[in-house]
Amino acid sequence: MSFVLNFPAVSIVLSLAASVASVAARRWAKQISCLVVVLGMAMSAAVLAYTASAGAAFTYVMGQAPAPWGNELRIGILEPLFALLFGLVLLLCILSGETTLSEKADPKKRYLFFVLCDLIQASLFALCYTNDLFTSYVFIEICTIASSGILMIRDNGPTATAATRYMIFSLVGSSLFLLGVIMLYGVTGHLLMEPLRKAVASVWAAGTYRLPLRVIIVLLVVGLGIKSGLFPFHFWMADTYGTSLPGAAGILSGIVSKGYIFLLLKLVHRVIGPDVFYASGAQNVLFLFGVLGMIVGSISAIHTSDVRHMIAYSSAAQIGYIYMGVGISPALGTVAALFHVLTHALTKPALFLSASRLADVSGGSNDFHALQGSAHRNRVAGIVFSVGSMSMVGIPAFMGFISKIQFALAGAQAGAKMLPTFIALAVSTVLNVLYFMRTVIRIYTPAPEQGEHVVRARQQLVFDGTALCFIGLNVAIGLFSQPVIELLGRGLALLG
Amino acid sequence: MPAYLLLLPILLPLVSGALLYFLGRRFYGRRRVLVAVTVCLNTLLTWALILFCGEESFRILNLVWDLEITLRFDGFGRFFAGLVATLWPLTTFYGFGYMDREHHKNLYYAFFTMSFGVTLGVAMSGNLLTLYVFYELLTLVTVPLVMHKMTRKAVRAARIYLAFSIGGAAFAFIGILYLAANGVDLAFLPGGSVRPGGSDGMFRLIYLIAFLGFGVKAAIFPMHRWLPEAAVAPTPVTALLHAVAVVKSGAFAIIRLTYYCYGTDLLAGSWAQTAALCFAMVTILYGSYMSLRQAHWKRRLAYSTVSNLSYVVFGALLMTPVGLTGSLLHMLFHAVIKILGFFCVGAVLCNTGREYVTQLEGMGRRMPVTFVCFTVSALALTGIPPLPGFFSKWALLTAAPDAQSAAAPFGTAVLLVSAFLTAMYMIPTAVRAFFPSRDADLAGLDGVREVSPVMWVPMAILAAMTVALGLAAGPLSDFVSGLAASAF
Amino acid sequence: MTLTLFLLTVVLPVLAGALLPLLRPGRRVLRAYVAAVTAVVLAAAIAAALHAPARLSLWRVSDALDIAFSVDPASRVFSLLAAGLWLPVGVYAFSYMAHEEREARFFGFYLMAEGALLGMDYAANLVAMYFLFELVTFSSLPLVFHTQSREALAAGLKYLYYSVGGAFLGLLGVVFLTRYAAGLDFVPGGGLLDGAGNRPLLLAVVFAAVVGFSAKAGLYPLHGWLPTAHPAAPAPASAVLSAVIAKAGVLAVLRLLYYVVGPGYLRGTWVQYALLALALLTVFMGSMMAYRENGLKKRLAWSTVSQISYILTGLFLLTAQGLVGGLLHTLFHAVIKTGLFLVAGAVIVRTGRTRVDELRGIGRRMPGSLWGFALLSLALVGIPPFSGFVSKWALAEAALDGGPGALAWLVPVVLLVSALLTAGYLLPIVTRGFFPGRDLPFDCVAAEAGPAMLVPILLTAVLSLALGVGAGPLTDALTAAFAGIGG
Repeated sequence: MSFVLNFPAVSIVLSLAASVASVAARRWAKQISCLVVVLGMAMSAAVLAYTASAGAAFTYVMGQAPAPWGNELRIGILEPLFALLFGLVLLLCILSGETTLSEKADPKKRYLFFVLCDLIQASLFALCYTNDLFTSYVFIEICTIASSGILMIRDNGPTATAATRYMIFSLVGSSLFLLGVIMLYGVTGHLLMEPLRKAVASVWAAGTYRLPLRVIIVLLVVGLGIKSGLFPFHFWMADTYGTSLPGAAGILSGIVSKGYIFLLLKLVHRVIGPDVFYASGAQNVLFLFGVLGMIVGSISAIHTSDVRHMIAYSSAAQIGYIYMGVGISPALGTVAALFHVLTHALTKPALFLSASRLADVSGGSNDFHALQGSAHRNRVAGIVFSVGSMSMVGIPAFMGFISKIQFALAGAQAGAKMLPTFIALAVSTVLNVLYFMRTVIRIYTPAPEQGEHVVRARQQLVFDGTALCFIGLNVAIGLFSQPVIELLGRGLALLG
Repeated sequence: MPAYLLLLPILLPLVSGALLYFLGRRFYGRRRVLVAVTVCLNTLLTWALILFCGEESFRILNLVWDLEITLRFDGFGRFFAGLVATLWPLTTFYGFGYMDREHHKNLYYAFFTMSFGVTLGVAMSGNLLTLYVFYELLTLVTVPLVMHKMTRKAVRAARIYLAFSIGGAAFAFIGILYLAANGVDLAFLPGGSVRPGGSDGMFRLIYLIAFLGFGVKAAIFPMHRWLPEAAVAPTPVTALLHAVAVVKSGAFAIIRLTYYCYGTDLLAGSWAQTAALCFAMVTILYGSYMSLRQAHWKRRLAYSTVSNLSYVVFGALLMTPVGLTGSLLHMLFHAVIKILGFFCVGAVLCNTGREYVTQLEGMGRRMPVTFVCFTVSALALTGIPPLPGFFSKWALLTAAPDAQSAAAPFGTAVLLVSAFLTAMYMIPTAVRAFFPSRDADLAGLDGVREVSPVMWVPMAILAAMTVALGLAAGPLSDFVSGLAASAF
Repeated sequence: MTLTLFLLTVVLPVLAGALLPLLRPGRRVLRAYVAAVTAVVLAAAIAAALHAPARLSLWRVSDALDIAFSVDPASRVFSLLAAGLWLPVGVYAFSYMAHEEREARFFGFYLMAEGALLGMDYAANLVAMYFLFELVTFSSLPLVFHTQSREALAAGLKYLYYSVGGAFLGLLGVVFLTRYAAGLDFVPGGGLLDGAGNRPLLLAVVFAAVVGFSAKAGLYPLHGWLPTAHPAAPAPASAVLSAVIAKAGVLAVLRLLYYVVGPGYLRGTWVQYALLALALLTVFMGSMMAYRENGLKKRLAWSTVSQISYILTGLFLLTAQGLVGGLLHTLFHAVIKTGLFLVAGAVIVRTGRTRVDELRGIGRRMPGSLWGFALLSLALVGIPPFSGFVSKWALAEAALDGGPGALAWLVPVVLLVSALLTAGYLLPIVTRGFFPGRDLPFDCVAAEAGPAMLVPILLTAVLSLALGVGAGPLTDALTAAFAGIGG
């Protein structure tokens, strides 16, 4: 076993330690966070390189007790890849969200933001690597609380309401998930994923507990679906993302929801098994709700006049794409979904952050009409917003286009699902254009009278840098996506 | 000449345009020079490539799986590129004169130049995916031009244009991906790559979807709405982009889809062909009818473009060599004729601010060059021999009865009705300009003078080109027939 | 058709006409210019008619689109008619147009129209004929517009729409027939390829094309432009419109029926019945409307509508005899109607009066003109020995001999009724002009028209008598020339 394989466990522990340290050393909270994130990224990258070249997945036992009593991590290709992704986006959000944090949050509570980010990092890494259901549940809860926490940093009326609402929904989701885990334990007697798989397969084949198994699948899927924003559980997103700090919104929409989705995929492939899952009919439900989410989310986005709400509803739509992909097929469709996770994670935070910068130069209002001409007042934010929008719509040269291609290719080989997929993709593109490009046009239309010219604010350089990262990655992967897709494919094969 | 040089005429205007956008304000006086030099140089470059470039394809990059972005200059691409490259410099110079009185010139110059590169990209695409990419880019790069005036109307027009274009492309996208997923080679090959086989019905349905998707840019009813709205853009933009580059790209894409991607084996005689023909025929009539009802001169010509584009599409959908010949001839002729028409509209708009056909009485004496040019355009568009419009219509008329589809012979009647309506909406304007009514109020025309040479010289050149194209109809038809035959 | 003759008869007038407005000459120079050009054209036309020249292919675009010219009997008839009338009417116009403005523009288009007409007469195939047909429309259009009054502009636009619309209908026919005709050029007797295409479709196409081209000839239902265009245009323009330009429609129909499709293909079909019905309807309707019309020029215009449908009736009989009758009437009507319009013009110039009921007693003031009018009226009504009688008799005879079914006897009946109506709308003008009755409303101190106007009027009157007397040799010549065409 290579030394590198210790890294995942180390990175989780490190993040937890950092959160504690930040509570103690408040002045250094931000630096500690950034350092830990960077370290976490580096470690994940190393692990990825190792597993990618080795072409196999490894199990890492924690503690001395063997299965089924001890705890395990399983490290393939997808796990470190997504850990790396989450770390990267977290870092970028922290850096570029800093300005707003320092302006809007209570100075005494600022360090809490970083503490919570450390916790989120720990939980997301854990969700990626863990091989144990109960551990997943624990870290889901930690993540929920930490997410609710960063929502609350702003500490005013609407934020509190939104955060509470989020917490309630999230907890409902977690509870359903827990119920599912308990029932699964009851049926199979296992909590570790590998043995669970065999047990589930045999139970299904025996035909004895089919109904309970179906119920379990429903509970797990619905539980995680609520937390990630699958239609019809998406309506908490608008207020939540709309009122929080942009950095927080970026983190939540970009990576927290994706963590849950990744966990769900692990469950589908490693616990329930793709054969059972795709024979149970659950995938059709996911497909249907995914498509509905795509359409309904976009329609809601068209009707709102607050740009943050618009981006939030767009998230609902994009999550719909992902679930649609999962519903199409276990191989090609899920690869498409995974790629879209990548796309969305890299794009949505950029949109939230640039929108907030644009609002800053428009008198602080998020209203659509106030934003007119803002792209001329803050050029970089305007460009980031435009790039993000074009990626969402699916303009060639950006990642969104590759996502669409992947979904279409997957759909083309899916028999009966082909035409609905195509139509849904086309209609969704049209709807996306209607609200995203409308906003892009509006921010470039010169305003009737020039508002305050906030040019080159203090932290602009940092924002520019992170913006460049977002755009650069989007274009780079948009143009040279083949290696990434292949990696995802290989990783998916190793997931189960 | 090696094929990678094809990148040059695409990139040069893009780079130049980007430079103009970011640094333009510093170059104030020398901006025009940069634009003029870029455009003219690019035209020369394009023509050099048209004449001397090899026929091999050049791969820019491999996007994902086996979907590639390639460039390849075949006969049809050269035809379109030649058309575009010849008309761009004329419009550029006309634009210098016209834009004198407008604002936001930087935006205009930058994106106008960039559009040139992207349109050439459309012409030089080597496969359907590349065409799609440049197609989308064309939309993006022309939206700022439509929005140029920054008034409410202009912004609204830009939104409608954007929504329709990208929406249409989304449906065309379905077609492309379906073909790719089913192993059809997306590269453009004469005779196409889809052979009759198992799922013919599905392929035909997908063809119709892709046809309608590309048809948005080609202004096929009912997706034509963006075109009259876009008439709010400055006249050089409407003239070039919405009478040549953008709409002809739509027709170009449809021809590529039909002949070089699908091939006529599967489509000729099928219900898909009939359905598509019906769309084209309805558009021809609808466009002509709406032209008649417009009193706003520019919108009248915009609807006329809608109608005439469908002549081109109609010819292509006949799926016979003669039909395609007529289609290509009309693509060429209509471009020149319509640009000329729009230039005249713009000249009057620029000098007098008059936008409606009812305001033009007696102007022929004041702006003789403009209105003589408009008369040439009007007669040519109606199809009066020996002007070129006649020859393309003749080819279409003779080809229609031979096509395999049952709907095609009706096209003959449709074309003739449309020609009649064209006479009704184009010629009276010219008549009233030169023969004002005795009791017309001509006092308002005092002080109206002809436009500056930088505007009327391109108009005169275009008028001369129109006449020359008509007189050269013989050799031109032969050349285009050869081109058409090679597509089968 | 040699190149020189073609240049002289067609290109010369077109170019000369196009140049004229740009040159802006003085009145004398203008008149000399116009007179010279029309004289040269006349001479060249006569030379071409006497010659037996070969086919001249001017512009070959493709196999089907070959603009070629040649001289055949039909060309001779129509070209001599056009060239022959253009000169005297031109001379008349010098005097008439002295009272209007923009003379140079008028004469410019006047000459261009002559060139276009002659070109159309000499066209050797349908496509060339179509080309020149359009040119005729566009070069005669400004003549209608000339006065630029509201009525003139409206009338001109109406003329444009009807002509262009009709031409496009004709184009439909041209497109179909160039594929199915035995030869692309005009062949006497025509003849479509056997078993060519879909017969019902072709019949429908031929019908549409004939109706389309007949718009220029004022066949119902596309006659609407005629009664508005003639009053609005200056009198010399009205004269040539009625006399010659409308005959372009006749020529087109003639070429279509006798030189492309062939009478045999159509004889006895629903197409023939329908066309004859339309023609007879127009004959009757035109006369009726003329009878009821009070405006002088408009009355003459309706008369033209009616009379040209006499010619069309002859053509639609689809026999050589019918054709000859039609051609006779073409010639005679041209001369007569020219004269009538010239008189109307003279009256307008001298008295400013345009309505029939204002013309009582005009014989006192303008006896020469009214005598001319009287003779021409008798000719048009068809009183022997005037020319009109000869042509109407020939038409009636042809109908009785070769007309299809029931229509054989209907034709002479309608012709007779129309003749009566013609008398009714022309002769009273003469009688009331000479014998106004006791209460003479005529108070205008007008004088007779000048010689420039009077001479052409009297010329036409004399000619209509002479043609009538000397009709025999003419009829024989025509019959011989078109012998084999019945098919």
